[in-house]
Amino acid sequence: MDGRRHPIRSRLPRSPRPPEEKDFTAEAHDRTVTSRIGLWLGIAFTVCFVTGLLSHFIQHPTSWFFWPSRPVSLYRFTQGLHVISGIAAIPLLLAKLWSVFPKLFGKPLVRSLPHAIERGSILLLSASAFFELITGVFNIFQNYPWPFYFPTIHYAIAWVAVGSIAVHVAVKLPVIRLGLGEEPGFKPGRDSLSRRGFLRATWLTTGVAVLATAGSSVPFLRTVSVLATQNTDGEQSLPVNRSAAHAGIIAKATDPAWRLEIAAPHGLHRFSLADLRAMPQTTAELPIACVEGWSRSATWTGVPVADLLRAVGSGPGTALRVESLERGSIYGSSTLPGEHTQDPLTLLALRLNGEVLDLDHGFPCRIIAPSRPGVLQTKWVVRMEVLS
Amino acid sequence: MRTTRIVLALAGLAALGYGISLVVPFAIGSPESARSTVEFLVGGPVVHDGIVAPVVGVVGLLIARKLPRHWRTPVRLGAAISAVLGLIAVPALWRGYAGLHNPGLDDRNYPLGLLLALLVVWLVVVAAALARRRTDQPPPTAVGRQNR
Repeated sequence: MDGRRHPIRSRLPRSPRPPEEKDFTAEAHDRTVTSRIGLWLGIAFTVCFVTGLLSHFIQHPTSWFFWPSRPVSLYRFTQGLHVISGIAAIPLLLAKLWSVFPKLFGKPLVRSLPHAIERGSILLLSASAFFELITGVFNIFQNYPWPFYFPTIHYAIAWVAVGSIAVHVAVKLPVIRLGLGEEPGFKPGRDSLSRRGFLRATWLTTGVAVLATAGSSVPFLRTVSVLATQNTDGEQSLPVNRSAAHAGIIAKATDPAWRLEIAAPHGLHRFSLADLRAMPQTTAELPIACVEGWSRSATWTGVPVADLLRAVGSGPGTALRVESLERGSIYGSSTLPGEHTQDPLTLLALRLNGEVLDLDHGFPCRIIAPSRPGVLQTKWVVRMEVLS
Repeated sequence: MRTTRIVLALAGLAALGYGISLVVPFAIGSPESARSTVEFLVGGPVVHDGIVAPVVGVVGLLIARKLPRHWRTPVRLGAAISAVLGLIAVPALWRGYAGLHNPGLDDRNYPLGLLLALLVVWLVVVAAALARRRTDQPPPTAVGRQNR
């Protein structure tokens, strides 16, 4: 303590009263600060929304949507970006709201109809933005303190969030342009950081938040990111997102009577594990990239799905429905589009990192396709159906 | 700029409307989910505006009034970083509603990791404050305002 009395102390009200807009004297509340943080928050939300939209359409494809199978790490990249931009948006949103916090106490509460709409849209924006970030972070850690089905509602509220952001930017565009056109300046406030100082603090905090989590998808940050969702180990050095025990398939998967059944237009075909092992094998380095954002590369060996399609009298490029021994969950089945069945790296994998596939990784065989969400890399495959 | 604003507003309203049209059938289908969704929607602004932001304000004021000058900026940064790391760590530390355990995925030692990260942050804070004290030259504003 430097011992000097602070002159502002005398300016504080003697008796407590609710704060007013003019009580907030910090430099952080200036429009040069608000507009700059707002710009980066807008960029973070846009990246998060677009990558989320891609992930949504890969899992719920429509006729006009196309997702390439190359580069093999494309989904790993977009979904990693989804989570990183979402994490970055947390400190940015908090800093942005702190920057405009005094306006909450502006009087009168409502000046006019446009003013009422503006305030309402900001409430909607803040509610939907917090909703997306809170539910998103809980989902990263597979922690669900709510009864609703996360993917559906996270997707729906994302539209509300970007919509209200667009309306908000439209309303504020003149102020944003003024704010961005002025220099923030280094002059410290009476009780606060300078404008430039607050901005730097925001960027630094955002950087630390990203560093602390990005190891989920960025390999060289794995040991630095203390809040990342994957450890260095798992069975066969690969994290498991649903274990064989949870899926309740151990008996069926280890039954010697297990056969892979492929329903093709020209009839039903059965393959034993020995049959599959006898077919030409392909070995490839492919990532598992989960919708929750974590991803990890591994070396997979197995039969190219294109070869299987040829073996049953069909051709690569035909869509293929894949069914697991696990039934009645989101992991139960998936459909490989033609783009992926014709890619020679789309495998029915039998081996992982040089060993027979672990039960937790889908023994006796699983799908591993390039550039697809982990939830669609169906494990414990028992049946396939060639779709015409 | 007028055209940009109109296009942006209309696109925004369309996206907003589409989002609401997705929420409504979901909400009608399950009243329990609807109630919980509304709680989480309202909860964000209420907790932020009612608790988080006021706490930030009071802590900021305390830092400005109670700490020696060279400590203020490092402590502000340390507090902001600690708070954000703490917030992100909530679902990792509080596993009340966590799904089934997945080997290799969620078995990192989060309490230890967070503790180490905070330790590093606050070591840097202390180092920065001490470095600032060593190179301390009285800032013109503080002296001018208080003693002249």
